[in-house]
Order: sequence, then C-alpha cells, then structure tokens
Amino acid sequence: MRGLLRWSGKWWPGVIPLIVLWGFAAWTSTVPLENDLASRSSAALRGSVLDRTSITVDGRDVSLRADAFSEAGRRDAVAAVDAVAGVRLVNDQTRLVPEAKPFVWSAERDVVRVTLGGNAPLPALKGRLVEATRAALPGVEVADQMGLARGAPSRFEDAALLLIGQTGKLKDGKFTISDGDVTLTGMARELGGREAIAAALGKLPDGFKVASNEVKAPPYIFQAYKDPVAVTVTLSGNVPDENIHAVVVGSSSRKFFNEKVVDNLKNSVGAPVNFVNAVVPALGALSRLSTGTLVVSDRDIKISGDALYDAAAAQIRTGLAKDVPQGWQVKADITVKPAAAPVDPTVCQQLFSDVLGKAKIRFETGRSDLDRDSTGLLDRLVEIAFRCPAATVDIIGHTDADGDAAANQVLSQKRAQAVADYLVRAGLPADRFTPIGYGSTQPIASNDTGEGRAQNRRIEFLVR
Amino acid sequence: MAYLVAFHWGWLAGAFAIGLAMGWVAVVHRAPGVSRLLTWLMAALAVGLVAAAVACWIPGRAGYWLELLLILFVPYLVGCGIGTWLRAMVVMRSMRQRSAS
Repeated sequence: MRGLLRWSGKWWPGVIPLIVLWGFAAWTSTVPLENDLASRSSAALRGSVLDRTSITVDGRDVSLRADAFSEAGRRDAVAAVDAVAGVRLVNDQTRLVPEAKPFVWSAERDVVRVTLGGNAPLPALKGRLVEATRAALPGVEVADQMGLARGAPSRFEDAALLLIGQTGKLKDGKFTISDGDVTLTGMARELGGREAIAAALGKLPDGFKVASNEVKAPPYIFQAYKDPVAVTVTLSGNVPDENIHAVVVGSSSRKFFNEKVVDNLKNSVGAPVNFVNAVVPALGALSRLSTGTLVVSDRDIKISGDALYDAAAAQIRTGLAKDVPQGWQVKADITVKPAAAPVDPTVCQQLFSDVLGKAKIRFETGRSDLDRDSTGLLDRLVEIAFRCPAATVDIIGHTDADGDAAANQVLSQKRAQAVADYLVRAGLPADRFTPIGYGSTQPIASNDTGEGRAQNRRIEFLVR
Repeated sequence: MAYLVAFHWGWLAGAFAIGLAMGWVAVVHRAPGVSRLLTWLMAALAVGLVAAAVACWIPGRAGYWLELLLILFVPYLVGCGIGTWLRAMVVMRSMRQRSAS
C-alpha cells in the first residue's frame, strides 16, 4: 500500500490525455444528453394538464415553463420533471393560469361560421367544445378563439354543451355564459326556433339561470298571389294551426270564385295575435284585384295590384285599414286596370250570365246585407256593367220557398236593391238598374232539397 | 449518477484504459514525483471541485462539464491503481527470480 501511495505521485502525466478525453466527451455528448433529457421530461409531463408548456435543457438543468390549472397540478408537474433520471436541477418557471372574474364563455353564430370565444377551464374541455360544435353544425366553419382561465362555475361543461346544441336553431346571434348567467341574443333560424331554445334552457344545470333571452323570431310571413294568366291564387307561408289553415283556405275558395286556390301553407307557431282577423279581410281585398300580391309580415300587410275600377281602388286603400284589427299596419299600393273595350248589351248579358254561372252573390242569412266573400264577384259585375254604358239592367232577386211568401218577396227585393246600391256606389248611374224581387215565385229547382233551395236563392242580371 | 455512468460508459472505459496504462508505466517511470505541497494543493482543488459539483454551485453546461470531468477521474484513478498494482506484482516477481538465481 505504501508503494501504491509512492507510485501514485507519478500518475499525473496521465491527466493530460484524460483532459483531452474529457474535452472530446464534453464536445460530443452535451447536445445528445440535453436532447435526451428534454424528450424524457416531455414524456414525464404527458399526463399533466398544462398549457403553453416549454422545456429547455442547459447541461443537466431543466427549465420548465408552463401554465397550470391548479396548485397541485403545478407542483406535480415540477416533481415529475425532477424525478426524471439524469435531471440535476429543475428551474421552476411554472405559473397558475389566471383566474377570470367573471368567467365568460360565448358562442357566436353568423352566416358562415360559429365563433367560440371567452374562456374554457381546461384544454381538453376546450377541444370537446369545439368538437361538439362541429358535430352540432356539420359543414359550418368553427372558429376557436377561446382562451384558458380558471374560475369556471361548476357544471360549466354541461351548460356550454347545452347552448352549443341550440346554436343550430339560430340564424345569427350569440349565446354567452358569464359565471352563472346565460345571455342570448340574435335571430332564430325558423319559426318556432325561439320557443324551442327557450324550452331547452329549462334544462340548464343547477347554478345557471337565464339573465336575458333576446332571441327574436323571424318574421311571420303569409303570402297570396293572384295570377290572372294561370287563373290561380297561390297561398304560401305560415298559418298558426290546422283550424285557421282551414278557415283561410275555405275563405279563399269562396272569395276567389273564378280561381283555383293553390295551398302551399304550412302550420307554424309564432303568429301575431288576431292573425286570422287580419288575413281574411286582406284576402277579401286581394279578391277584388284583377292581379295582385298580398304579403303579411308579422303585423304589416302589404297589398299591391290592379283594381277593376277607380272606386274599388279607393275603397281598398281606405277600407282595408279599417277592417284589420288594431295594431296592424296596411300599405296598399293599388293601381287601376285599364278599362276594357265597350261591348253591346247582348255581349254584356252573356258576360253577366257567365260570371253569375260560376258563383252566386251571397248575403247574410235571412238578411239583405251583402256577404263580404262576394265583393270580388260584385266587382266583376261592376266591371262588366261599365263596358255597356247604354244598357239598362234588371237586377232580380229570388228566394227559396222557406218562410212566408210576402216576407220572401220583400227580402228578395231588398237583396236586389243591395246589389244595385253596390253598383251605384261603384260609380254607375242609378237609373240604369232596376231592382226587382220575385220572392219564391220563380224557382229553378225543387224546394224540397237543401241543394234545390240553395239554387233558388239567387240574383239574376237581365240586360234590356 | 447511474444515468451518467450509463450515458458515458464508453468515455469512462477510455478513462479507465488511460489510467491502467499510466499506472503500468508509473512503477518504472523515472520522472520526479509530485511534491508534498503540490499534492495538498491538488487534493484541496479536488475537494473544492467535488463540493461544487455536489452542491450544484455551477449551473448549466459548465456544471455538467465539471461533473463529467470528475466522473472521468474515478475510472482513471481506479485504472492507475490497478495498473500500478499489476506492474508492481510483475516487477517484484522478476526481482525475486533474479535474486534467487
């Protein structure tokens, strides 16, 4: 042993090649060693919930920069890197993700995309929200502008997913969660969408409440187009329910005696109040036009087209506004159809007979008041009467045999007079018309059947 | 430490080989030995470097290079010891044979 100590004094020359060896070792091994430590540190952090993770290795010292979502998570991440074999020191540059107060998240829908904004509490949840949005709105671009922050209310994910599920019902608008308050603005895609969203909000998790719901319904549209070429009336748009659907179609069939009614209506909730009381008079006005369009949008009625004569145009302009319920607006853009060429009385008689062969002038039951459904028919008769100014016309009223014969005669006379009055109000000279009431004395069908009695109740025009 | 040994085993083997050769030569080497004062100085320097490495006083790559230097010294010294011992055995045997003859 003493010899070993003595000879060790001569070991120093070997230090020179050792230093050279060390130099080579340091030169070649430093970068691979750093890369190895960096990759194994990253692997150690794979299970940690971190954001903006950055690992830099200097020698065997690791600098860890990351945003953690809890203090425990932050400590665990540092400990995980510290436990990596070969790591000498961990330079802890981690920090907690800032806490948002209030915690705000939003989903905004416009024409082409959905933008998710505000904050999500965890990266994984952020990804789930984006995926849920893509699944809810296939084919729509999803823009992720969410940041990350602590402070989300409990069951935030359930609330956000519920709102994402409703974005499909929006045409445009924004859903926002601010702590526990849910705010909704925008326009529903379809009628009923606003109500469906409101119903879905009832399933919000505990701790969330609707602070304001400003989602608007799209305008409630009803349209009718009278086409004189196709001889049709096309109804389209919405009606509130099956009953009103039937009322509107039935009323149209009576008013448009000459045209085929094409029913393209669909039943949708969300109609304004008094819908039917506004639409039926508006259809009556449309029936008086030779060609025209009726558009009802929420409570705005817009009617345009050609009236058959001047007085009709004036009556439609002023009369419809009075006929619709309070709160409804009418805009009538009515022009007058150019007068047709005059014809001789024989042709006039033929035209009267043709029109009255298609429909009958109707009255209130047992009374001489003209039924509003017959206004369109009466306007046609007025137009014909204007074409033969030289002709005088007997307007002859008939009733069925029900009731007292004298009373029937009086009723038929009054009904004929009511028709004559209508023609005079239209601007025709009163002396051209002679109202006559024959009561039930000239039946054209049996009075024993309902159908026969209906045929017997009639007004005839006789040109002389 | 185990990581460093595993990562640098080739370099450590090299250091051991240098040490073995140096130890083998040292027995018959006629160069003067290191003075006592220098030995103490070297020992103090070694203790200081080991302390710096253990306490992680030197950061980053410089710290790693220091550790690498110190860890290379270990197989070198072991190699020197073994080399010297083996050579001493050989020399002693040949001297005994020479004196017997």
